[in-house]
Amino acid sequence: MEDWRIYEHPILKFDRGREVTIYLDGKPLKAHENETVAAALYANGLRVFSRSIKYHRPRGFFCAIGRCSACMMEVDGVPNVRTCLTKVGGGMRVRRQKTFADRLAPLLNKMSLSPLDYIRMFTRPGIIYKPAMKIMRQFTGQGSFPKKVPREDGEAVGERGEEISTELLIVGGGPAGLSAAIEVGQRCKDVVIVDDKDRLGGQLIRQTHMFFSDVKYAAGKRGFRLGEEMVERISELKSVRALTNTSAVGYYPKENTMLLMGPDSTTLEVKAKKYLISTGAYERALVFENNDLPGVYGAGGVQTLLNVYGVKPGNRGMMLGTGNVALIVAYHLLQAGIEVAGVFAPSFRRVRGYMVHAAKIRRQGVPIITRHTIVKALGKDRVEGAIVTKLAENYEPIPGTERKVDCDFICVGVGLNPAYDLVQLFNPKMVYVRQLGGFVPVRDRQFRITERAYIAGDCGSIEEATTAVLEGGLVGLYVTQSLGYGDEAVTAKIEEYEHALEEDRGSPFSTGIKAALKEITVENIGEVLN
Amino acid sequence: MSEDELSAVQRGYSTREELEQAEILPPEEAVKEKLVCIIECTEDIPCNPCAYICPVGAISKEGLCTPGVVDWEVCTGCTRCVAACPGLAIFLQRIEDGKGYVTMAYELLPEPKVGDRAQLMDRSGKVVGEGRIVNPTYQAKGDAYPLWVVTVEMDDPELSYEVRAIKILE
Repeated sequence: MEDWRIYEHPILKFDRGREVTIYLDGKPLKAHENETVAAALYANGLRVFSRSIKYHRPRGFFCAIGRCSACMMEVDGVPNVRTCLTKVGGGMRVRRQKTFADRLAPLLNKMSLSPLDYIRMFTRPGIIYKPAMKIMRQFTGQGSFPKKVPREDGEAVGERGEEISTELLIVGGGPAGLSAAIEVGQRCKDVVIVDDKDRLGGQLIRQTHMFFSDVKYAAGKRGFRLGEEMVERISELKSVRALTNTSAVGYYPKENTMLLMGPDSTTLEVKAKKYLISTGAYERALVFENNDLPGVYGAGGVQTLLNVYGVKPGNRGMMLGTGNVALIVAYHLLQAGIEVAGVFAPSFRRVRGYMVHAAKIRRQGVPIITRHTIVKALGKDRVEGAIVTKLAENYEPIPGTERKVDCDFICVGVGLNPAYDLVQLFNPKMVYVRQLGGFVPVRDRQFRITERAYIAGDCGSIEEATTAVLEGGLVGLYVTQSLGYGDEAVTAKIEEYEHALEEDRGSPFSTGIKAALKEITVENIGEVLN
Repeated sequence: MSEDELSAVQRGYSTREELEQAEILPPEEAVKEKLVCIIECTEDIPCNPCAYICPVGAISKEGLCTPGVVDWEVCTGCTRCVAACPGLAIFLQRIEDGKGYVTMAYELLPEPKVGDRAQLMDRSGKVVGEGRIVNPTYQAKGDAYPLWVVTVEMDDPELSYEVRAIKILE
């Protein structure tokens, strides 16, 4: 059996836990307790998790943090489970959501029929909708509802849980959320922090490199250690209650209620005086032919697989993009003993990330090739190479400059988009700001986006993790004030954080961000609402 | 367009000439007298561990976002900044008895041992020769996560101006 696990790493030691056996379509596979289903499948060399609904193209994961929904499979009888978030259990039964149509696909493709747009078919008259849907589902691969509820106590899935009242609900346990929780937790009585992963720390858990910034705050620490330290501090605060494996699925302004869904689909209703949204960001996708092939990943997805689960995404990868995330992940690949064929990006002016990150991979022999873009990924069921082309000054491909890059996976590291889904439910004023990564809410000087809701971190503006730590702390202090716990010490600390943030954004890399933030910051949020 | 025609920020590294022009490399006399530190940090980014960690105050910074500047007369070559730099951009250099020595941070496998042979790479990743590991030190940085500071010896002292990475040969 293939084994893609990393056993020797210069920085990390992987605690994989006990060995267990899981079954993929009935076939036994070796897995470890602390692995997710997706990581375990990858460790066993499996790349195709499902087929797409319409064209039955192979699907693997892209983001590995529960955002892209490309990794859904049937787990223990439950369909459409995000396998990148689900931990394995002994005897777990994982099924590819194969359908009748997958088997028919080769034939259907030959006939070059137009694919079925199943949601628009047989909707009328109503009487044929249900039976027709049953048949259509056979063609679509969305799985079927579980016949038996997979819980030992036989209780129904979707139990209604308790109702909670709290002073502050923080959604998102990444650098911004944690930092805020520490500041608020020290001064207020009751804070709830919720995260959809199995542990707090957000994407800090996969950052093995040392951070920049001021030694007073985070500099010189490895990202994952910084995360661990913050989580430790929070566990010491009695006022902070952390709910992991819990998603915030909706906010109802009239009732002032945030609906959470916890493990086993139990719902929780939270009524908070204030809300802090620190949901982070999504990885951007890039448009090119075959960009849906298993083996085309978000750079961050690769980082998770490598540094959290210790599983290799392939033997030789190529990186798209020259921002800091792309450069850092290329370095992490080298540390795990994986070859990097090159870092490619269309930029003409410069490498977008820090020179020190670029120099680190250059001197290890990784070429950085600017003025190039990917044309297509090669391969049938997984990536077997890529075609790149040179660009002219107007960013048009130069004909005849196409060449093949040998690789078995492609990392897309072209930046992040703020995760604004939950933000929008508060009805703030949303604006599109390119420098900040996409749609972001207008906020005031206290980081309020509405009377009740605050914003911090990447979901408000895409910046460095260290900036998110500072911003989270600052917002935490503003919330403390608005909850009536403000005093002189809080005011002094606010000034300190404001100054630290200003310094942190003092580099030329932040000039555009600073200007854009100024544009969307108002004196008082009341002005722009209603 | 060949790589020579690109600027440092397009290539992703600075050449020796570019660093000399920016007065980032130490003068020859300093290198021949003792082990001195070189901060190959060319951009304004928010960072300050090097200035913070230096025990003799040889590294000064105007502000959080300006690169550290070394006073080579004061620097004792203690290697602390090499391990502290989050960008792995600090090196030490010395020329002694006709041999060149370069000290650098090392975060790859295999683990370095005294006497190991190592392939020497320049800033662009080009292999320029072979050297020996003379003094690997394990940095227990608070949490004891392994980051090595290694010194590599090379027979051609001129190479010490170029060598910035190693690959340990097993």
